[in-house]
Amino acid sequence: MTLAVLRRGREISRPRKRASAGRRFGRLAVGPATLILVALSVFPLLYALRLSFMSDNLLSAAPMRYVGIENYIALIHDHLFINGLVVTAFFAAAMVTVQLGVGLALALALHRLSRYQQLLATVLLIPSILSPSVVGFQWLQLFNYSGGLINYFLRELHLPLQTWNASPRLALPSLLIVDFWEWTPFMVLLLFAGLRSIPQPIFEAARVDGSSGWQILRYHTVPLLRRTIGIVVILRLVAEFKIFDIIYVLTAGGPGSKTESLAYYEYTQGFSYFNMGYTAAMCVISLIIVIVLVKLILGFTERPLVRLAADTEAP
Amino acid sequence: MTRSVSRRSFISGGIKGGALLAGSAALSPLISACSSSSGGPGTSGSGESTTLTVEIDEGQNAEPWVWFNADMKRTVGVSTTIAGLPFVGQYEKIVAELVARSSAYDVLVFPPYFMGDFVAKGFLRKLTDFGPESAFDLPDVLPVYRDPYLKRNGDLYAANYDGDVLMLTYRTDVFDSHGIKSPPATWDEFLSVAKELHNPPHMYGNAFYGQRGFCYAWFMNIFAAYGGRWFDSKMNPQINNDLGVKALELLIELNKYAPPNELAIGYPQLNQVFLNGSTAMVIQWDDLPLKTESAALGSKVIGKSGYAPCPVRSYMPYSRVMAISAYSANPHNSWKAIQYMNRSSISAKDVYDPGCGEDPFRASQLDPSLVKDHTGQATMPPALATAYVNAIKGCLAEGYPELSIPGAFHYLDTLDLFVNEALAGQISAAGALNAAASEWNTITQSLDQGAQEAAYSAWIQSFQAAGVSY
Repeated sequence: MTLAVLRRGREISRPRKRASAGRRFGRLAVGPATLILVALSVFPLLYALRLSFMSDNLLSAAPMRYVGIENYIALIHDHLFINGLVVTAFFAAAMVTVQLGVGLALALALHRLSRYQQLLATVLLIPSILSPSVVGFQWLQLFNYSGGLINYFLRELHLPLQTWNASPRLALPSLLIVDFWEWTPFMVLLLFAGLRSIPQPIFEAARVDGSSGWQILRYHTVPLLRRTIGIVVILRLVAEFKIFDIIYVLTAGGPGSKTESLAYYEYTQGFSYFNMGYTAAMCVISLIIVIVLVKLILGFTERPLVRLAADTEAP
Repeated sequence: MTRSVSRRSFISGGIKGGALLAGSAALSPLISACSSSSGGPGTSGSGESTTLTVEIDEGQNAEPWVWFNADMKRTVGVSTTIAGLPFVGQYEKIVAELVARSSAYDVLVFPPYFMGDFVAKGFLRKLTDFGPESAFDLPDVLPVYRDPYLKRNGDLYAANYDGDVLMLTYRTDVFDSHGIKSPPATWDEFLSVAKELHNPPHMYGNAFYGQRGFCYAWFMNIFAAYGGRWFDSKMNPQINNDLGVKALELLIELNKYAPPNELAIGYPQLNQVFLNGSTAMVIQWDDLPLKTESAALGSKVIGKSGYAPCPVRSYMPYSRVMAISAYSANPHNSWKAIQYMNRSSISAKDVYDPGCGEDPFRASQLDPSLVKDHTGQATMPPALATAYVNAIKGCLAEGYPELSIPGAFHYLDTLDLFVNEALAGQISAAGALNAAASEWNTITQSLDQGAQEAAYSAWIQSFQAAGVSY
């Protein structure tokens, strides 16, 4: 082997070595973060999964023992779990739909404004930056039967007073009102940011082509905004599946179990009765449901734009 | 000498540092648990802090600790800070701390129905480990509040802070205007009086605790009057029978003659609907009468209230006892604080103060001349004070104690949920009680059937020995 060949080989292998060292450095650099993630997220997740196959009550003298899928079978027969699932599903479906619809309308209106966009966006953010417990207590006062502001106006208008959060009929709608008030502005802001990222010439071209406002919305705005919509829907869906704070403050799951969400029931089983195995099984089910829903939404929002346009094409 | 840092050594150091950080984050709960448990059982009296943390449901019931803090410091050399917990939700917050062996609390103030779990799990220190039983003047404690509330297996774990019993408070002027001579003595009479006086929105016939949390107690109050029992000797639930259904159906019926927001009525709201003059009768804890005569609390019914035991029997929900946390680093000083607050001379000053919710638990306190606030001001005219104290005596003569065995919180909370579902119209009375009984069986099995039978039997014997019929 001549010296020239050796030198050429070194020249070729040096960039490779450099790339390989760079990769190694990259892996090592993310090492600490990965370790923290494993310790604080992956390990608890796997532990919860294991726990879901155990009978483990912190207040019982009996030691933790393996029970197979007993906890999961018990869940099927637990009417409060089913009730929690139904309440949560209704809450999430209603809120995501309404907040998205109203949020999009308000975002479009905000986008059309030529002035005060920043000011309005800041004002809109106020409900969403308040602590949910504070929001709960604030609405508790508003819903108060004898001294609340809402019933005051009803009284002034000679309308019948309502018991809002105490009524079996109105308790869940009352929670929906609070959640709508708190989180719709958040939806508006994210959608508004999404609208601002769409290149304006697209809309101008559509207008030149004679598209109506509705057509622009349907065939341009919504398809181009679909990734943002996907993100806000996922964020709100996950949050609605965890809905707890305002229920804890406003209704405590009542009257009866009318407003007992899945998260509230999980809290009761886990931190009032300390049935850790059973609670872990509930959490695993919740996680699976959320993952499936998120996957479906992502599948829809990640579809190629051309195919999406074809699907929505007018006859 | 300077030392150059190579990329390799930088990376290697970074990894070690990152691993340490991640490791310490993961282990921090363990480390904190170990460090917090270092002051657990076995700590000697020397080197204890003289400032103690007292866990108690926040609000008016913490007031006596504030009123007497300076005197406590002067008298026994100990002062306290309050760790307030919500009235509904207190159990899970205490247990969450104690299962983690946290030393966050020194003195625990809680209702005795937690006692079964707390003793079974070793959460409490025996008071007699730090001083003699005689320091608590137990012979003066009313028998029903003594052994069933304070002792388990013959050992003294707690001292009284508050004695609770449900009582009927009613509007004498409204009764008079309808020609009703005396308060109802049976539940059928109670219902008919509530119907007669119900004239919304000016006057509601009655009100009760309808929120989730303690509405079970208002069911038990009626169920007890009908001769109901918790379990049989084999821990088979005894609530889902004709007596239970009759009691729950009566409570549902009473809801028709209650304020429209009945299902949102908890303790403060129940006080309020009576104090604002909108309700003719309420069954409430026995501190309400003191508030009816308090202008400072905005009462609109001063001089218009009468007091009587509940029809037939009076259920005894809640009450408060004081105990030393097993994980307190300051058990000797905690004992001193408990002993101070439990003294006849101190507790007599708060059990008749309308500014707190504490009620008499000592025989010596059942004296109308003691019906004064903590500063010594009379809180009721003498005749009313006598009627009030007599009503308390009447309630306790036929008191019906709250279930207090391991798992009591779970049993009662489950019952509460189903009673509330029945009140909300989600389920029938029979359906609710069957569902509660089924859940009770599951709880019993999860806690060990044999151990529960023994605990239930011992608990019954303790209050039968105190003269309570069951």
